[in-house]
Amino acid sequence: MKELTLRISRFDPKKDTAPHFENYTVNVHDGARVLHALHAVHDDCDPTLTYRYCCGTGQCGSCAVRVNGQPVLACMEEALEGITVEPLEIPVIKDLAVDLLPYINELPIICPVSTEAATMPAKDIVETMKPLRSCIGCMACVSVCPALSVSDFKGPTSMRQEMRLSLDPRDKKDRTAEAVNGGLFRCTSCQACWKVCPKEIQIPGKAIEKLREVAHFKGHTLPRHAEVAALIRETGRSVTWTEPSLLELTAEVMEPYGPVKKTVGFFVGCMYNLRLPKTALDAVEVLRRNGFRVVIPRDQICCGSPLIRTGQTEYVDTLKARNIAAFTALGIDTVVTMCAGCGSTLKHDYETPFKVIDFSELLAETGFGSPAHLGLNVTYHDPCHLARGQGVTEQPRTILRSLADITEMPSICCGSGGGVRSGFPDEAAALGQRRGDEIKKTGAEMVVTCCPFCEFHIAGHTDKPVRHLATLLLKGYREQEKSGT
Amino acid sequence: MRSDELVDCHVLVIGSGGAGVRAAIEADQYGDTVLVSKTIVGKGGCTPMAEGGYNAVLKELDSCEGHYEDTLRGGAYLNDPGLVRVLVDESPERMADLIRWGAVFDVDDLACVAQRPFGGQRFPRTCYAGDRTGHEMMTTLTERMADTGVETYQEVSIVSLLQHEGRASGAMGLDRDGEVILFRSDSTVIATGGGTRVYDISTNSSSGTGDGYALGYRAGAEVIDMEQIQFHPTGAVYPYDARGRLVTEAVRGEGGLLKNKLGERFMTCYDPERMELSTRDVVSRSIATEILEGRGTEHGGVYLDVTHLPASQVESRLPVMLEQFLKFGVDIRTEPMEVAPTAHHIMGGLRIRPDGSTTMKGLFACGEVSGGVHGANRLGGNALAETQVFGKRAGEAAGKAAVHSRDHDPAQVEAERKHLDEYFTGTSEPAGVWNKLKLSMWEGAGIFRTLPALEQTRSVILHLQSLQLRAVTAENLVECCTVRNMLTTASLIVESALLRPESRGAHVRKDISQAWTPETSPFGHTYLSTSCRGIEKVSR
Repeated sequence: MKELTLRISRFDPKKDTAPHFENYTVNVHDGARVLHALHAVHDDCDPTLTYRYCCGTGQCGSCAVRVNGQPVLACMEEALEGITVEPLEIPVIKDLAVDLLPYINELPIICPVSTEAATMPAKDIVETMKPLRSCIGCMACVSVCPALSVSDFKGPTSMRQEMRLSLDPRDKKDRTAEAVNGGLFRCTSCQACWKVCPKEIQIPGKAIEKLREVAHFKGHTLPRHAEVAALIRETGRSVTWTEPSLLELTAEVMEPYGPVKKTVGFFVGCMYNLRLPKTALDAVEVLRRNGFRVVIPRDQICCGSPLIRTGQTEYVDTLKARNIAAFTALGIDTVVTMCAGCGSTLKHDYETPFKVIDFSELLAETGFGSPAHLGLNVTYHDPCHLARGQGVTEQPRTILRSLADITEMPSICCGSGGGVRSGFPDEAAALGQRRGDEIKKTGAEMVVTCCPFCEFHIAGHTDKPVRHLATLLLKGYREQEKSGT
Repeated sequence: MRSDELVDCHVLVIGSGGAGVRAAIEADQYGDTVLVSKTIVGKGGCTPMAEGGYNAVLKELDSCEGHYEDTLRGGAYLNDPGLVRVLVDESPERMADLIRWGAVFDVDDLACVAQRPFGGQRFPRTCYAGDRTGHEMMTTLTERMADTGVETYQEVSIVSLLQHEGRASGAMGLDRDGEVILFRSDSTVIATGGGTRVYDISTNSSSGTGDGYALGYRAGAEVIDMEQIQFHPTGAVYPYDARGRLVTEAVRGEGGLLKNKLGERFMTCYDPERMELSTRDVVSRSIATEILEGRGTEHGGVYLDVTHLPASQVESRLPVMLEQFLKFGVDIRTEPMEVAPTAHHIMGGLRIRPDGSTTMKGLFACGEVSGGVHGANRLGGNALAETQVFGKRAGEAAGKAAVHSRDHDPAQVEAERKHLDEYFTGTSEPAGVWNKLKLSMWEGAGIFRTLPALEQTRSVILHLQSLQLRAVTAENLVECCTVRNMLTTASLIVESALLRPESRGAHVRKDISQAWTPETSPFGHTYLSTSCRGIEKVSR
């Protein structure tokens, strides 16, 4: 047995106006899960604590709670000293029990074609449906979904179910139309849902993008998304030229200052090439200062992310082939990205013969020259496609800590992704505003991030400057030089 | 007298596992049907936790006769043959219902439902959806029910059955806040599942508290063979709080090997023919014996090993097992599991006819709460089949039953309410009472039994029943009622065990030697009701 102290959110709507925290110290067995700590609180400290559980083995989805902010199944998560246990971000019935039924009851149900035949679909269909079928209805995904919190989006698991039904020949309804009506295009592809899913169901990639693809071929594409696709086909870029691009501002090969530590390819992406070329120049400059020969192939074009996220996939293979050829032709074995979206796309949607690495990942891995500390208090915004898409969260912070003091804020979507900023500006603005509020709470003087979409979008919802990590790092180097001279 | 919420319907179904939901779907065709669930529908009971599979004769090479014989032999010939006949004959058609309703079972290359071998069966007839078969069925059934007119009351606990003019006339429930709801019906179906949470180590979910046995027994219905408790051979052994967690028989069905700490495949000593795929009663006793005789592992189990199987097979056929063990730091692809027996299933229960009717008028039962289908030992894969076959039958019979005047006896309700009110002045915490009960049950009414140990446990239960349980608030009333039900169920188990003077299937009396085999046993069912008790004699 061991002693454990935990903090639990208590709320009785019959008596309380707002939730409050209570601390409890209980004795539990070694290896106890959060659920067992809750049992101990209920049995030994306060029998009025309300929480829900059933199977105790991760199979029924009754006991999802937030532990230190993260949705988990209480029965599977180890109880550690000092944890904070809160209900999911779903209307609370009492204490840790939330009202799951509205979400469960909204899930689409199969509409059988025939009551006569009892035939299973073919094996390949069954194998595709199975991963979408293991949902245990814990609603952790609903708890974290940004789109659902500000729009009438039916939510991640509802889209999962639409996809599962659309695959099933036994179902007779038009699930694509139903999904579109249920807000299919409202998802920002932030990846939060499947990162908290206890069954690791890849809802954005395996359901939402797939449904969007079908929706696209059935003519449901949003006009703004179709415009972007047309532009990519026409120009190879997802945005228009407004100023000299990075490709115009640089040579194909940018030599480092001093000896060559390594040669890397540089994938600039549409936004940094055409809208924020100065930021891209900063990144190139940082790489050169750290001994990298930076090769920037002239033939690179849009990575295809705006098409994949919105289901307009027919041109994507062409883009992939051209980009891969652009780098392989120059013998590149490592390609650096500075846009979170491009990086995630190259890593997950491509099969590249070269290694793809984010700018911050590369520097953290190889080491980077020390900059001057700028004496700033900043906050860092995790881009969805870097943090959840690529698992890169610590590396940017490592670099940033050498430059500034960081005040953290919750890692949530800013609302710019998945085609939502162009498709549903109201939703994007509502999420951007939330981000602005969080930034304000930190008291930081500046917001740092690693994604042009986040950078652009957040800038519209805060009065603080928003900068790419590369820009700040270059500034640190320049300050270092100044103080050195 | 306070006014209670009244809900009237034609059929009342109590319980939301595979049997309850199947019964409600069927009953709805005949009249207003209400389903009351202690949990959120689809999450409670053991069906969503059932991993291994569903037995059905689907192939020409197999036969219902074979399934019938395997079930009787596995059940030590204590089964009610009529119920077994119904089970094996109708299981394939109920599987077809699930497929029509969208269930996603694993299939072979020809899109036929895949089947794997399970213990005690001469043909691989266990259909599955990976190792989440029950969850797949539950998802299908709840979807189907959502498409009917069944009205559900969720997180409402039934605390007693109502009776009017000598027949079951509904039930009294408590909602989350402890408020009373009276359900009045023409017929009532109990589908509350099992109750092995009366044991210290159990696979059951929070709802496996034996409510249905207790409700039925108290209302006057008869239970049979309550001494027949299945100890599943393979439950997790550590960490402490994970003890008893089910490790599916599918692990052995897929080729998993049992070994003692010396690395010996000890099943060669107990059942060299069937080895790991012997019946559960035999495998459990074998494991328990290995442990008792000092050949157990560090954590007090034996090894269950799948490391010789391809990792891909483990990943696709046993994903839940893989995930659960990984959470506790064991990668079953490269390390053996440690397992020991765990209380899993109650073979006995409310005595039913093939249409699910009990010995009480107006009361039906289906699924684990009923008795007679599995005899003295249940074959893996027969429980899920039972939920569907008898769920449908009970729902249909309850639905076809005549309409009565829907009324209740105010005196009964008042007495029940008074009983509830007494909990507010009680002195014993329900959790503490349960804890003492489950330890005593494991000790005295476990895998190996003797007269003194059973009597010792009986006296513990009697003592615990004399304590006045305490509810701090109205919300805690349900906990008191649940512990009361557990005490009743435990006493039915122990009393029945004392009534059976032989070893039969899962019931092993170490202190009795007998000259007969299960087939030639002079005894039939044990039976218990508020008015009679005994053991049936069979003339051979």
